[in-house]
Amino acid sequence: MNSSIFVKSKDVFLDIVNAKDYIQLDRVSTIYQSLKDSIKKPLKMILLYGKPGTGKSMFLNKLHTDLSTTMDVYLYKTPILDESEFYKTLAQDIFSTKYSGELNFTQFMKIVAQKKNTTIPVVLLDEAQLYSENLMEKIRLLSDTRTVKFVITLHKTEKEDLIAKEHFQTRIWESIELENASSGELKIYIQKKLMKANCFDTANMFTNKAVNKIYKITQGNYRDTNKLLYTLFDVYVSYEESNQYSKIKTDQISTKLIEMAAIHTGLINA
Amino acid sequence: MLNIIELENRWLKYKIKSYLPYASIIISLLVILLISYSFIDKNSPDIKLTQELQTHPKNTIVVLKEKKVPQLKEKITPSQPILKQETKIIKLSPSLDFMKKMQNSVQPYYTHEHTNYNTFRTPVKVNVPKVEKVPKKKIVVQAPKVKVDSHRIKIKRQNTQNDIHEIIQRFKNNNNPALSLFVAKKYYELENYNQAYNYALITNKINKDIEVSWIIFAKSLVKLGKKNQAINTLKKYIKQSHSSSAQILVDEIQSGKFQ
Repeated sequence: MNSSIFVKSKDVFLDIVNAKDYIQLDRVSTIYQSLKDSIKKPLKMILLYGKPGTGKSMFLNKLHTDLSTTMDVYLYKTPILDESEFYKTLAQDIFSTKYSGELNFTQFMKIVAQKKNTTIPVVLLDEAQLYSENLMEKIRLLSDTRTVKFVITLHKTEKEDLIAKEHFQTRIWESIELENASSGELKIYIQKKLMKANCFDTANMFTNKAVNKIYKITQGNYRDTNKLLYTLFDVYVSYEESNQYSKIKTDQISTKLIEMAAIHTGLINA
Repeated sequence: MLNIIELENRWLKYKIKSYLPYASIIISLLVILLISYSFIDKNSPDIKLTQELQTHPKNTIVVLKEKKVPQLKEKITPSQPILKQETKIIKLSPSLDFMKKMQNSVQPYYTHEHTNYNTFRTPVKVNVPKVEKVPKKKIVVQAPKVKVDSHRIKIKRQNTQNDIHEIIQRFKNNNNPALSLFVAKKYYELENYNQAYNYALITNKINKDIEVSWIIFAKSLVKLGKKNQAINTLKKYIKQSHSSSAQILVDEIQSGKFQ
């Protein structure tokens, strides 16, 4: 087996949110399609929630990539915590209005009223749990004007807090939960990801036993899986480079090496 | 590049750590098994002992019996086999003694008496000295022989006036001449010559061929002072039976040897 395959496979699992790396899984595809359909509806706000590493950011990325050709979609991967800065950024991106100095909510609403777009722009806010409560109130008021549509992603716990607030509950039209992958889905996810990068040999190395082991460690969390598999292939590369290649099995993924990778990444406390 | 050696060591520690609970469970199970086994092992001899204790008495009884019987044989063989004695005792030894006594007292040269008493009940009369001797031997030899002794004690007890009445009762029930003859002999022995005469006569009426009944009849007559009647009766019997015993008795009465 060519040693470069392990290096290549390792790079596949780099924790980078890229719409190109999006893996179509049956269940996830269904959710994605329903999200896409929801955006087309005249709703004010869509909530996307789930545990960390369940693919919320990837979802938003994919959505942004797919919709950007047909709609005005604006993705904010990192939250803009300063309120004035938030309004200024939106004014510049959506309404092409550069504003110098402080911009408050009232001034921003004037801009919105002046420049009404023919199509309603969609703002995708990732990690919305980081926004202040005050700013979230403003976002709600902004969505009430129906001039801007919001899709926000939240961690599950924050979502629960948010939903507890009645005014948010009434305004959320659609809420979609993302979950960890099952063992079967995880195998498809890993193999599809490798095959997408033409790493067929390593893709075939993942037996059910190895996948079950990975699932046991990561609980099907995509981010943890990516992290683990990146380290796993790093271990393989290390064996290769230290001329101890004969010590490891290359026909299938060794559970020993999975455990070693898990120990190194901290997924297993050794 | 990762430090593979360090990672392998960490993995090894992790594996040992992960197997520790299982290992500790297995070890504790083994320890429990060993303890329970040793506990059972300790208890099992007790059980065996109790079992032995339970069974041992039975066994010892058997053994004693088995052991003592040969002892008995060993002890008795020089003089007389005990089994033969027992059979004698059960069958006719008391009555034989009684007959011998009778022979001594009535006519010393009677030889066929015991054959007539074969049908008699065993617990009639036991020679007291003999009864005492046999138990002595048996007590020394074997515990179960006590039972035999108890039988003998019964035999001894039956040698009373009440027993004669019991036999008379039995005679009334089955009209057996052997029983009436026995009663006649018994009364003669007890010097109740009237009753001895009566029962000898009753026996003769049932069966005239019993020699002993004629002799008891004649002897009772002599004792009652009817010497001539006795001689006449015997002579009549001698004519019929040609009995030598009767002839001897006639000679003794006539010569005055028997009074």
